Amino acid sequence: MSATHLPEPPFDGVVWALGEAPAFAAGDRVRILARSPIGHYRVPTYLRGKSGTVEAVIEPAGLDNEQEGFGRNAGAKRHYYRIAIPMTEIWPDYAGSPRDGLRIEIFETWLERS
Amino acid sequence: MTDSAHLVRKLPNDIGGAEAGPIDMTEHELLPWEKRCHALADVLDFKKIINTEEKRRGVEALGAQMIGNLSYYERWIVAFGNILFQKGLLTPEELARKMDEVAARHAAAEAGGA
Amino acid sequence: MSVHEHEHDHPHDEISVESAGYYEIMETAVRELLVAKGMIGPGEIRRQIEVLDSRTPALGAKIVARAWVDPDFRARLLADGRTGCEELGISFYDDTALIVLENTAEVHNLIVCTLCSCYPRPVLGLPPDWYKEKPYRARAVIEPRKVLAEFGTTIPDDVEIRVSDSTSMVRYLVLPRRPDGTEGWSEEALAALVTRDAMIGVVPVTLPETIQ
Repeated sequence: MSATHLPEPPFDGVVWALGEAPAFAAGDRVRILARSPIGHYRVPTYLRGKSGTVEAVIEPAGLDNEQEGFGRNAGAKRHYYRIAIPMTEIWPDYAGSPRDGLRIEIFETWLERS
Repeated sequence: MTDSAHLVRKLPNDIGGAEAGPIDMTEHELLPWEKRCHALADVLDFKKIINTEEKRRGVEALGAQMIGNLSYYERWIVAFGNILFQKGLLTPEELARKMDEVAARHAAAEAGGA
Repeated sequence: MSVHEHEHDHPHDEISVESAGYYEIMETAVRELLVAKGMIGPGEIRRQIEVLDSRTPALGAKIVARAWVDPDFRARLLADGRTGCEELGISFYDDTALIVLENTAEVHNLIVCTLCSCYPRPVLGLPPDWYKEKPYRARAVIEPRKVLAEFGTTIPDDVEIRVSDSTSMVRYLVLPRRPDGTEGWSEEALAALVTRDAMIGVVPVTLPETIQ
């Protein structure tokens, strides 16, 4: 069972390095992890543990901003995804239309398949 | 979890979904020093002396009381000072002496102009 | 020098002019020390102020008007907002990506940054104060319809409100709906209708009352 949606390598026999291809693809169901880093983070707490759908892979991979916040200007590139989450998933008492939704970009290290 | 852990786990800038009053749509034209402070932030990021993510982290690190009581660019310039000290690029003494010098210059200019 | 001497325990985000003296001195001191140490050049701040002054909502309005009249440009802009803007000569000095969000009869987009004040500065200039302050940032993601109502905007329940929360590298620009009754208008006349707030998504683009 493949855990990822690896794109087909351009040539037969070419092996992609670990982490080189995004683990998720548009349409995948994902859950935003509920961990609590201290010091600096860019995943707001109101979305921790919420489930959504990958809308798009944001290319190119970006620098992990939890590390960048402490002065790292290179290294630790992470795949980045635009995630779609229904408002009713985030707020059980959401007062607007059940169609309403939220979009946010989240690094792969914060996502798991759901 | 101890009662204080939420202060560590949820940064003071992380306010999505928080209780808040009506939106005050009053706008102000940036003061000259505020615009200089914005330009300084951009230049510090271009040169990766303080990248934008470090600036955000530096503002968060001021804590809720300072974030609540200082204005937007006041928070930025204090964060820049702290980060420059942490990186050993400036010392607290240098900045304090320079601020006294600048203040004296302002006072002299005001006295001369009066 | 006026220090920030008055104690106030009420949180506020607005600029307090009376306390600017102390922080203005700090700004001048930090800048002069960095220049004296050779870490930044003396003209670099001035140059960046010129860059900032050259970025206003008029740029965003040009992008929107072009997208309204040129379907090929619109498609390229929606595929990659940054390269679309770069086609028109707008540089991304802050090295951010741009997603252009198209409003339709089915979807109304609203942009916010709950964690700080991420904003498409290369195409809109600096954000308004309310965009940076707590009420908008806190409420846009939990009660967007009430927030829109405060701006006088009512979106029918059968239209999806889609709130995009910007978290650093990626910025958003709303491509508002072209108002009815503007068929055949010049690109310039269309651009004049497009406001900053419409490109944030808090209001629609409307015709001037004299025409309506």
